Amino acid sequence: MSKQEIVLNVNGIDYELKVNVTATLVDVLREEIGLTGTKVMCNEGACGTCTVLINGTPALSCMMLAVDGEGKEIQTIEGLADQETGELHPIQKTFVERSGMQCGVCTPGMILTAKALIDENPEPSEGEVREALSGNLCRCGNYQRITECVLTSAENLKNRSTK
Amino acid sequence: MTEQFSVLGKSVKRKDAIEKVKGEAKYIPDIQLPKMLHAKFLRSPHAHARIKNIDTSRAEELPGVRCVLTHQNVPKKHPQRKFEFLLDETLHHPGEEVAAVAALTPEIAEEALKLIHVHYEVLPAIIDPEEALNPGAPLAHQEYGSNIYKGTQIVNIPRLEEDGWLRLGTGDVDKGFAEADHILERTVESPMQYNCSPMPRSVICEWAGDKLTCWADTQLPLFLLRDLAGSLEMAQANIRIIANYAVGGYGGKSPEKTATLAAIMAKRTGRPVKAVFSRAEDFIGTHHRVSYKNYNKIGVKKDGTITAIYSKILANWGSDTVVPYVCQSSALLGACNMLYRWQNSMAESQGVLTNILGYGPMNGFGDPEAIYAVERLVDEAAEKIDMDPLDFRLKNCMRYGDKAMEYEQVMNGPIEWGILGPDLDSFPELIERCAEKAQWKEKWRGWQTPMAVDAYRRRGIGVSIGMHHTSFWPASAIVKMNQDGSATVLTGAVEIGQGYGTATAQVAAECLGIRYEDVNVILADTGAAPAAIGNVASCGTSSPMNAVKIAAEDAKCKLFELAGPRLNASVDDLEAKDGGIYVKGTSNSIPIADICFTNWQITGTGNNPPYHSIRDEKTGKVIHAYAAAVTIVEVEVDIETGKIDIIELTSGHDTGRTINPIIVENQIDLGLVMACGWVLTEEYKIDPKTGILLNPNLLDYKIPSFLDMPDSNHFNRVVSERPSAWGPFGAKGFSETSMTALGPAIANAVYNATGTRVYCASLTPENILSELETRKEEVSN
Repeated sequence: MSKQEIVLNVNGIDYELKVNVTATLVDVLREEIGLTGTKVMCNEGACGTCTVLINGTPALSCMMLAVDGEGKEIQTIEGLADQETGELHPIQKTFVERSGMQCGVCTPGMILTAKALIDENPEPSEGEVREALSGNLCRCGNYQRITECVLTSAENLKNRSTK
Repeated sequence: MTEQFSVLGKSVKRKDAIEKVKGEAKYIPDIQLPKMLHAKFLRSPHAHARIKNIDTSRAEELPGVRCVLTHQNVPKKHPQRKFEFLLDETLHHPGEEVAAVAALTPEIAEEALKLIHVHYEVLPAIIDPEEALNPGAPLAHQEYGSNIYKGTQIVNIPRLEEDGWLRLGTGDVDKGFAEADHILERTVESPMQYNCSPMPRSVICEWAGDKLTCWADTQLPLFLLRDLAGSLEMAQANIRIIANYAVGGYGGKSPEKTATLAAIMAKRTGRPVKAVFSRAEDFIGTHHRVSYKNYNKIGVKKDGTITAIYSKILANWGSDTVVPYVCQSSALLGACNMLYRWQNSMAESQGVLTNILGYGPMNGFGDPEAIYAVERLVDEAAEKIDMDPLDFRLKNCMRYGDKAMEYEQVMNGPIEWGILGPDLDSFPELIERCAEKAQWKEKWRGWQTPMAVDAYRRRGIGVSIGMHHTSFWPASAIVKMNQDGSATVLTGAVEIGQGYGTATAQVAAECLGIRYEDVNVILADTGAAPAAIGNVASCGTSSPMNAVKIAAEDAKCKLFELAGPRLNASVDDLEAKDGGIYVKGTSNSIPIADICFTNWQITGTGNNPPYHSIRDEKTGKVIHAYAAAVTIVEVEVDIETGKIDIIELTSGHDTGRTINPIIVENQIDLGLVMACGWVLTEEYKIDPKTGILLNPNLLDYKIPSFLDMPDSNHFNRVVSERPSAWGPFGAKGFSETSMTALGPAIANAVYNATGTRVYCASLTPENILSELETRKEEVSN
């Protein structure tokens, strides 16, 4: 299998890697770099679980080749809390405060998708949240709670930025 | 009387929240061990076949392959007490394991599977459960000699009658039907459903000498331990199962066979072996919600009294099951004998073997499948006597003191009816509160009258009730006091996402009078924690958590005994609160940490009492624990496309006592979303000729998304808290019950919207259109 040398920028750190050209981003993140916070539910682009942010935009890391991640800023759930202080991102805080998860497998993808939404649309309506997250499946059926958490997070972020 | 609790009833943060939002929670696929091998499985392409010849030589020669297993080199053991062997020469459903490979990488293992050459002799297969009953039909298991399951040497079902039927009833149904003014009958099939755990099955096995450690994504560590020990012929003491961060199985998480095969390969190679299923494998290689063909007959009087019900359930088991008749016994009890006060009832059920994937436990476990049919016929009965369907249910629903039985009794006997506890007066309460919340009186305009008609869109409202048992099994627990006064709880139960670890810590903290933050719960480690069956059958709260409460009370007693002399008070005058032992009503106290600092031996143990010791104070009868559900749903049906949209959902549930309100709501939502998927969007497409599942992926098998559920303004939850005789502080298991009422409520609402009773299994657009067309023709003919 042919291998290629690449540099992936993940959570602000450059990783020099030699990967199979056919390796998906999620496999390289999990198996090569050891960032197992990105979870896999379907591995075929149907559930949103493996979502990471590529230059701030949600992308399915199971549907993307690792080699195509070169030259881009990749953010995974491990890169969301403040990298220096370890303080949780406000969205993570809300999910903790309001139990926005059950088994927790969809949680990283949900939180990253929500971050991208709030970054682009700081005051989303409930309908906009549901629409933006509709590609992320939660078999534990936590849709009401997650929607509430994202709306509360947007509110908290707005209050923080106006302080 | 209002009881004052410090941490009970509060929505404290989940114990596992921070690691889950940071991606730090380590699930099985996230664990890497040095020198670990990866396992993959070759699966049968046929519904029924015999392996004539299997050649693994090319696979074994592939660089990186370390072990190949086939039926020729594994012990002939029945995993999970099933018909099939671990790896069998005869294959009984598409997807059954033919061979296993362990290799340096998953890719090499996958490659090796392609190099295994198998020559199959294809055998006649039986796919349809009704055809399976015909004389001369192909046998799903030739060696068994019948497609009707009557027990085996390995699994004996004492209560199964000689003709192969499991029966349960009370009163005299013939007399009941004779007293009826109207008799209605109907057959409704319930659809299968894929558990669809967010994480496909996974396991890691590693040996050290003759001891095995198994990291498993399981909700049944006790059964996994028993099965591994049995298959490997070793003492359970030498196997340690660790099930940290199990992933929502909704009944189905139990990787016995995979774990055994991984353990064998780990032993033979001297290296740890990890097996992680692909999504497609999880679809075809695990199990699913059973399908029932439900025939029901109901007698009703003009005044709205139900006089009798007769139910017959034919269950399509597929090729095998880990739970023979257990699921049907739930249905015979809850749905068929105890959903209403129908004085006379008789229910019978039979399990049919076919060559499709076998069924297994899934949320609701037998009840939703049967209630799906019963509650639609109850609706027809209400219409027959022109009574408001909600009033009809209010008149007939079960209450405190009504006859009840525990489902294990149906399997093993003796058959002795106890009663429902005071908590089951929640039915009338929930019906009334849901009606008010859903504005039933304003929205229900009478039979044959939809709420609104707009071109092709018809809006209607429907109601259903549901119930499911709360299991009470042996369980024990340990509460270990640490030197600083914090407590470590050891429990054999599993945190599978439902919030068990969190609620358990709340219960322990409440008993000990210490902070929730100072309790840690060590879950599901069979090498460390006392036994519990696991988290199935809504037993978590009433069984293992109950044992934790008893253990915490025991630890508290020991603290009191040590504190008493130091406080010059008798043990009876002490209470534990705010981290101290207090003389009641005074500020005279001693910090728990002070007692523990010099008495580091303080450990509480707790055992559940036998269930038949839980008796009603008034009557002395055994109380059985059930939970109630009521669901009112408003739907819009597009009669051009057949699509059903849920417009508003109001659902009532009883928890006995709410330990953590947010967690309770999350569990309610789980059931509702799962029920929504079960009847509206998820549909198994099984080829009727080959038995092959045609949609084993999440693109073609649609589980509900955010947009399939109503928004927060149209989603109402109602919770009743009437303390149960079972479980800590009156709390009981209710989670599975939460899904039991929604399916039939949707079907009833579709009738109100369209004027057509739809009897199809899944209410998918395709099926709805076909039903609307068929019934129209029936009427015009």
